[in-house]
Amino acid sequence: MERANNDAISDILVIARKEGLELSRDRRLRWLFACLLVLLVGALAQGWQTNDAESQERASAQHANYQQWLEQGARNPHSAAHYGVHAFKPINPLAFIDPGVSAFVGISVWLEAHKQNEFQFRPARDRSSLHRFGELTPALLLQTLAPLLLILVGFAGFAGERENGTLRQLLSLGVSRRRLLAGKALALVGLMGAMIVPITVAGALLSIGTGDASQRLLALVGAYLLYLGGFVFLTLGVSAFARSARQALLVLLAFWLLNCFVLPRAMTDLAGHLAPAPTGAAFIQALTDARRATFGHDESHPAFIAFREKVLRDYGVSRTADLPVDFRGLALREDDHAGYRIHDEHFGHLWAIYDDQDSLRQRLGWLFPGSSIQAVSAGLAGTDTRNHVHFARAAEAHRRVIQETMSENLIQHRRNGDPDYSADRRLWAHIPPFAYTPPSLDERLTWQTASLGRLSLWLGGCIALSLWAVHRLRP
Amino acid sequence: MLEARSLTKLYGAHKALDQLELTVEEGEVFCLLGANGAGKTTTINLFLDFLQPSSGQALIQGKSVQEPASKHLLAYIPETVMLYASLTGIENLDYFSRLAIGRKNRKEDLKDLLIRAGLPAEAATKPVSNYSKGMRQKVGIAIAMAKGARALLLDEPTSGLDPQAANEFATLMEAQRALGTAILMTTHDLFLAKQIGTRVGIMSQGRLLSCFATAGVDHVELERVYLDTIGSRMKL
Repeated sequence: MERANNDAISDILVIARKEGLELSRDRRLRWLFACLLVLLVGALAQGWQTNDAESQERASAQHANYQQWLEQGARNPHSAAHYGVHAFKPINPLAFIDPGVSAFVGISVWLEAHKQNEFQFRPARDRSSLHRFGELTPALLLQTLAPLLLILVGFAGFAGERENGTLRQLLSLGVSRRRLLAGKALALVGLMGAMIVPITVAGALLSIGTGDASQRLLALVGAYLLYLGGFVFLTLGVSAFARSARQALLVLLAFWLLNCFVLPRAMTDLAGHLAPAPTGAAFIQALTDARRATFGHDESHPAFIAFREKVLRDYGVSRTADLPVDFRGLALREDDHAGYRIHDEHFGHLWAIYDDQDSLRQRLGWLFPGSSIQAVSAGLAGTDTRNHVHFARAAEAHRRVIQETMSENLIQHRRNGDPDYSADRRLWAHIPPFAYTPPSLDERLTWQTASLGRLSLWLGGCIALSLWAVHRLRP
Repeated sequence: MLEARSLTKLYGAHKALDQLELTVEEGEVFCLLGANGAGKTTTINLFLDFLQPSSGQALIQGKSVQEPASKHLLAYIPETVMLYASLTGIENLDYFSRLAIGRKNRKEDLKDLLIRAGLPAEAATKPVSNYSKGMRQKVGIAIAMAKGARALLLDEPTSGLDPQAANEFATLMEAQRALGTAILMTTHDLFLAKQIGTRVGIMSQGRLLSCFATAGVDHVELERVYLDTIGSRMKL
């Protein structure tokens, strides 16, 4: 058994080495590969530089904003709550590989009283629509151009050998078809590795000392291996099955177009149709309408009057002036709590729609894995919608800490709505600087379980297809 | 060494090979003659296990050709030996021989094999894209020699070769036969059949019609028997 295994490994290595030798002597492929590597290194350098500059900018802005908060001077705590702070989304160390939705969802949010604001500063808004097509990221290269290169290199793997007659020569030697497949696959995997290694090295360098980024990088590389590994076996399977190399190339290119361009777009549109999200204006209008049920600063609002009656009843007094606490502080807190429920409901509904859309987009991910790798790649790079929502929730939690602290100060220390009451830096310093704890690797992997499952199915399916195709391979 | 027992191949109702009974012993060159479509290449393909027989058996040293062990005894040289164009003669030989015998040969040994097969020494390190058909045949023979094949299947190996190359090929096959290799060769070349064949079989429409030793038969006689056999079958 051991001897047989050794023979198999030896044959596979011999076949892979020969494939590599042939590839290395093909001038057209050398140019193609070199071009892809140049693009990849360029995209990495660009992403790295952008990451580095933006990361420093955001950290510095976050620090400056907190200093402004501390230095705002003495004022009414509720005015301070309105003054608010900004939460800047920290740059993820792996965002240079896959910026995901970063350019479209904004980079900071103003945390102020009464409102859960939208995010601001969306780089995509400042760009022309053509910019989206010109932006080459390492993820885009791995998701679209890398499979194309594997197809162009591998489509003739079996069909070409059959047309050239070398397959007949090989099979006459008694070489196992499975070993042939494994050897050819190994050569293509080597090529795939050459594309992934620069990203892994750059990512590893950037990940040093940045939490679990290096583990996420490994998971990301694993996901790309599943994705591109599927293309290796699909290419060889189709090549073994096709009647000619030309037919194999046509089939594979059609699949590539569908997978990389047509279906992701079509599935996004379909998901938008099946699980429609409200427009920005409609969402804000719905939120505004819902907020009408709360009283804000409107003392004639029925909810305000009802609340005042309840407080007086609870404390057993007839005037707010007789309360042992500040009624306006209580009213602010009450209004905040009502607002939290409304925001949670509306934003929760919106984010659930985004989740549904993501899930719908990937329904065909086991067959056309483009949408699944997009999801996993951005998810593990920390730049997908879920990661954004995680940050938005953390920012909202911080806003609520500010609201609660300011209102509590009014409740406990102001009396009878004293308009001259003010607090100073000692109170502002009770609010810690905004510090975001990103989701753990486990959490992120859990979010991507279905997508990773689809990618595994894709690879398994392609291996099965190629084994079946070589089993029926005739010279 | 090579044996066909009632070997039959059907394509639907068409009998490509019909109840072939054939034995090629060690040190014997058996030439299969016949027109196109007679069943010669089908016979070779069945021995190579490229086709599944409809009935009957193809055996190599008593083992079915479907057994992996039998494939190690066999080498195949087609009309045009197809090689990897960007690889040199030595690299091609190295690749095929390593897959055939499962061990690495020294470069000097590979070159020596190519030279023994008749390839000019200076050609061994050049890409085979520049090789003539005859030179490719020699690489094919070197592969068979490297493999230490006990049986050779030759499918119209001299078709398209110039007379000198064909003669060199015949000499090499003579040498292989002298080493005890069993050779089954399909050919249209009656002169080659007479030159290196120890026995000749004439096929038509999937059947082996006639089988005789070449000793004592001259070229003219062989041609007459061939035409008579084919002609009588055609009349049927």
